[in-house]
Amino acid sequence: MAEAVNRESNRGLFWTTLVIVYAAIMLFPIFWMASMMVKPNEAMFARPTQWLFVPTLDHFSYVIEQGFHWSLLTSFVLCTVSTALVVIIGTPAAYAFARFEMKGKDDLFLFILGSRMAPPVCLVIPFYLIYAKVGLLDSFLGLTLAYMTFNLSFYVWVLRSFCRDLPVELEEAAALEGWSKPQIFRRVVFPLLRNGIVATSVLCFIFAWNEFLFAFMLGGKSVTTLPVSIPKLITSQGVRWGEMAVVGMTALLPVLAVVFVLQRHIVRGLTLGAVKG
Amino acid sequence: MGALLPTQGEDNEMASASDTITAAGLQGAGMRERAWYPYLLIAPSMITLVVVSLAPFIYAIYLSFHEAKFGRVRDFVGFDNYMTLLTDERFWNSIGVATTFVFIAVPIEFMLGLIGALVLNQNVRGRSILIPLLFMPTMMAPIVVGLLWKIMLAGSWGFFSYNVLERFNILGETSIFASPELALYALIFVDIWQWTPFMMLAFFAGLQALPLGPYRAAAVDGANPVQMFFHITLPMMTPLLAVIGLLRFIDAFKVFDTIYILTNGGPGTSTETPSILANKMTFEFWNIGEASALAVLVWIAFFAFCSLFYQVAKKRLNAF
Repeated sequence: MAEAVNRESNRGLFWTTLVIVYAAIMLFPIFWMASMMVKPNEAMFARPTQWLFVPTLDHFSYVIEQGFHWSLLTSFVLCTVSTALVVIIGTPAAYAFARFEMKGKDDLFLFILGSRMAPPVCLVIPFYLIYAKVGLLDSFLGLTLAYMTFNLSFYVWVLRSFCRDLPVELEEAAALEGWSKPQIFRRVVFPLLRNGIVATSVLCFIFAWNEFLFAFMLGGKSVTTLPVSIPKLITSQGVRWGEMAVVGMTALLPVLAVVFVLQRHIVRGLTLGAVKG
Repeated sequence: MGALLPTQGEDNEMASASDTITAAGLQGAGMRERAWYPYLLIAPSMITLVVVSLAPFIYAIYLSFHEAKFGRVRDFVGFDNYMTLLTDERFWNSIGVATTFVFIAVPIEFMLGLIGALVLNQNVRGRSILIPLLFMPTMMAPIVVGLLWKIMLAGSWGFFSYNVLERFNILGETSIFASPELALYALIFVDIWQWTPFMMLAFFAGLQALPLGPYRAAAVDGANPVQMFFHITLPMMTPLLAVIGLLRFIDAFKVFDTIYILTNGGPGTSTETPSILANKMTFEFWNIGEASALAVLVWIAFFAFCSLFYQVAKKRLNAF
């Protein structure tokens, strides 16, 4: 008996070690980029690869000099505002799709899925021309709107699957008590749905945070997000690798926080609710 | 990680039955005159989506039938843009590149993901730390993924170039991205690095949700693990595998950011996917009519795949 338990725990140890080794190899490029943040240029381009070096803060000071903290701020505000809008507009829709019978619901639903799946490069062409006409290029409002195409559809789609998990009996009871529908939504549904709303909206925030193409084509000098500032470091005087590492790692930090906090919901979000995490 | 829907097919039907009862119940409580209520709830979202998603699409269709260059829309030209596009070698090249990319990358991601999920499904400890770490490549900005591999595979000094490719003399060139034959495979490699974790963790969530009953019965009958995998796990997982595979398949066709920063379609047109080509047509050649025609074609293809995904997910997986 003791031997069997022992063997079982040894096997567990084997599989655990295997996964740790795999994760270490897969994540090595990230560690490498992190080390480049403080790596002097001579060490960076050294052949053979140089493991030890005297750390430097040069890359950081260049990044600050170039005003990249403004990109960070732009990214943060833009993603927060667009996500907040998505939550306000999308929550009632997700609830309605989960609970009520509607004419043409399937078609509406497919339309939402279609907006989510459309390749961004197809959208960016008409967006660019329309924005050029109405003067929304390089504007905060323009990008906020553009982010709605993928985030609003994503939010409605995924939050609907969270809505369907709620027991309907509570709402029925509240209806029998004579509560109005807005009251039911506010006092019964919303509190129960809070976790789903947080999980889905954080994912929306990350998608907006990671977004490159719209920000690159529709943004410009006054609205530059963090991802867009990365290729800008490929200059005519050469590529500023250390600086790119700094910006890249900055862009990565919120993602790191989110994967730990949201781990159970990420699968559900990324599979559009097809798999419940 | 929790429940997967196929095992709950009956529950699902019951849920939708009770949904209807609810609607009737709510209406019974003096709500019948409020039939417009759900439409009111969805109105803001639907209006926004019509503005930001349907309107651009219709505008793209309009542009695709006009001669439009350098941002100026001129005459109606019928299907000319489509004809030019369909006879353009570069267009077919981009379709070929994307097809190669998807049909090599996705099956490998699928197999590695399935193997990874099976390993993770053993009694691995510390999953609550390992799973988020494994998720990093999928969740990080694609542009940063591109940057990472630009660093790792940079000519001469890149860590991977120097310590692996050069040491074992895998290729003579200075940078893998400068080789017309190999650049595409480098991009496929990056895509596999980025998306295998997604497949792995989605499949793992599926495995975790499988019922134990069949396995106990099989163990009593003396089935070995391999038999259990092929006769129990695989059949029960099939709908999920199909849905996830299809989703990844759709997504892989529209990869843009990583290719843009790593090769931008080069060298020559050897890694030019339709996304990259459409982008170049618009913002480098300013041939907007033809770019729109390309966008419309891609869009229609995507919508077809998308409804297939919806049907499969809804009918086979009982999701949505």
